[in-house]
Amino acid sequence: MRRRHTGRAVQRFTLAQRIEHFLLIITFNVLAFTGLPQKYFFTGWAERIIRLMGGIETTRLIHRTFAVLLILQSLYHIGAVLAARRAGRERGAMSITFRDVRDVLLDVAYLAGLRREKPAFGRYDYRQKFEYWAVVWGTAIMAITGLIMWFPEFLARFFPGVLVPAARVAHGGEAILAVAAVIVWHFYNAHFRPEIFPMDPAMFTGQVEVERLRREHAEEYARLVEAGIVAPPEAEDVPEVETAPGPGASPPPPP
Amino acid sequence: MGTVKPEVAVGCPRVLLRFLVALAGTVALLAVLAGTVGQAAAAAPSQEDETCLACHGTPGLSLTLPGGESVSVSVDSALLRQSVHGSALACATCHPDHTRYPHPPLIARTLRDYRVERSEVCKTCHSQQADEFAGSVHGRALVMGFPDVPTCTSCHGAHDVMRASSPAFRNNTPQLCGSCHGNPEIMARYGLRPVYEAYTREFHGVTTALYKLTKSYSPTPAAICYDCHGVHDIKDTEDPAAPVARRNILTTCRRCHPTAGRFFASAWTEHKTPGPDASPLVWYVQIFYRVLIPAVLGFLAVLTVLDLSRWAGDRLKGGRA
Repeated sequence: MRRRHTGRAVQRFTLAQRIEHFLLIITFNVLAFTGLPQKYFFTGWAERIIRLMGGIETTRLIHRTFAVLLILQSLYHIGAVLAARRAGRERGAMSITFRDVRDVLLDVAYLAGLRREKPAFGRYDYRQKFEYWAVVWGTAIMAITGLIMWFPEFLARFFPGVLVPAARVAHGGEAILAVAAVIVWHFYNAHFRPEIFPMDPAMFTGQVEVERLRREHAEEYARLVEAGIVAPPEAEDVPEVETAPGPGASPPPPP
Repeated sequence: MGTVKPEVAVGCPRVLLRFLVALAGTVALLAVLAGTVGQAAAAAPSQEDETCLACHGTPGLSLTLPGGESVSVSVDSALLRQSVHGSALACATCHPDHTRYPHPPLIARTLRDYRVERSEVCKTCHSQQADEFAGSVHGRALVMGFPDVPTCTSCHGAHDVMRASSPAFRNNTPQLCGSCHGNPEIMARYGLRPVYEAYTREFHGVTTALYKLTKSYSPTPAAICYDCHGVHDIKDTEDPAAPVARRNILTTCRRCHPTAGRFFASAWTEHKTPGPDASPLVWYVQIFYRVLIPAVLGFLAVLTVLDLSRWAGDRLKGGRA
């Protein structure tokens, strides 16, 4: 593994994952920008945006184009996860377990000042898992309801037509939920948290400082120390830095 | 013809081409000139109409009917000229007994009577539409004497008649029908429910409103009232012969959605706001999101506030130490 950073940092996201995230930023924003005016068609700002894009037909064309991109991207993601699982590179770090429920309760207790110690989170904490699964759930709902509205004639060959207006309601509701959750949750966790403001660079550099990992993902830090990827705390002055593999990277060589 | 052209082009290309270009240019120029002259001729009112407009062109003229209502008898000559009848009809075409002055007294006692009476004039030329209208739910109600039923001028106007096939007329149709079918008071008198508002929130209504923003006409327009209900021959929705009757509705849908599957008709929410009795699935989805959105956001907001307050608390303590 090559060093990409002069500081003491470990790799957290592969290049492929960072590209995926970057594409998701683009598709999500374009879809929101072309979709919300269609939901709030009765407002002045919606009218201005639709005019700006050259009319409702162009707006819908852009929306559908980026919807297709997002669907393709999602299919790629599923493929990448399955491939990583087969190759044994995927440790299921994103799967939600009973531990996450406990982590939420313990963290709330810690944040409320009822506990002294922050719970030791794994590679991804419950906040990150929640975001990940919210994107999975949201994309699935948006893709299904969007395709229903795009091809209602075909749907009605096999299913009741009432699914079409129901899909329209769900598409709008899910859109609001997604955009609002990104603003409340993602913007806070990835941008406005006092420790990381103005932004958490991990998703763009692909790396996270060992010190931050120790504070925020104590269990993952302990695992990396045990695996010999990260120098143990006693030997902190050792300048040697190695990068830890992400779920998409090859397993580390035995120590 | 197709075989001659290349031969000519090979034989004497330059001269002939120039001649052809000159010829085409002349023809085009003549056509443009003729068009301008024709338009100018159409725009200027005839001598007889000038006489009428000498009085009726003055704004603010009105006539009091025997019933006490006041009716404007001023005519905006510009609107009249722009109207579809502007260049085709003279004043006397529709007002034949008003060519003399003083005009004969009006027979109608009320404005309503006057308008119903005037629609007889339209029949002279538009007999097919008049026949269709007579058999329609509106036409039959008109004969019964109901006061709100539209006559020709209710939808088409009088002196400002617009071409019914024009995009502007099409685009304005939902509002036009909605002026009655969106009015709960008028609808209640006939045991009908107002449907206009529900239409404006349906996919067809939204799309129609959005198309208008940038284009007067779309090659793939969304359905407006008359696309499904018919134009002059509008039938009661309960009438089995109506295009929107349960047995016919899929056929009607397929006029625009030719590949629509057999369950397609239930995609249409019948101009009803979803509820336990109207498209309940849609209603359940609405309720689901009405609960889910505030619940999720509330949960996330609480966690965010907790996180911030722990950070602020730690800083305060750290500052004191």
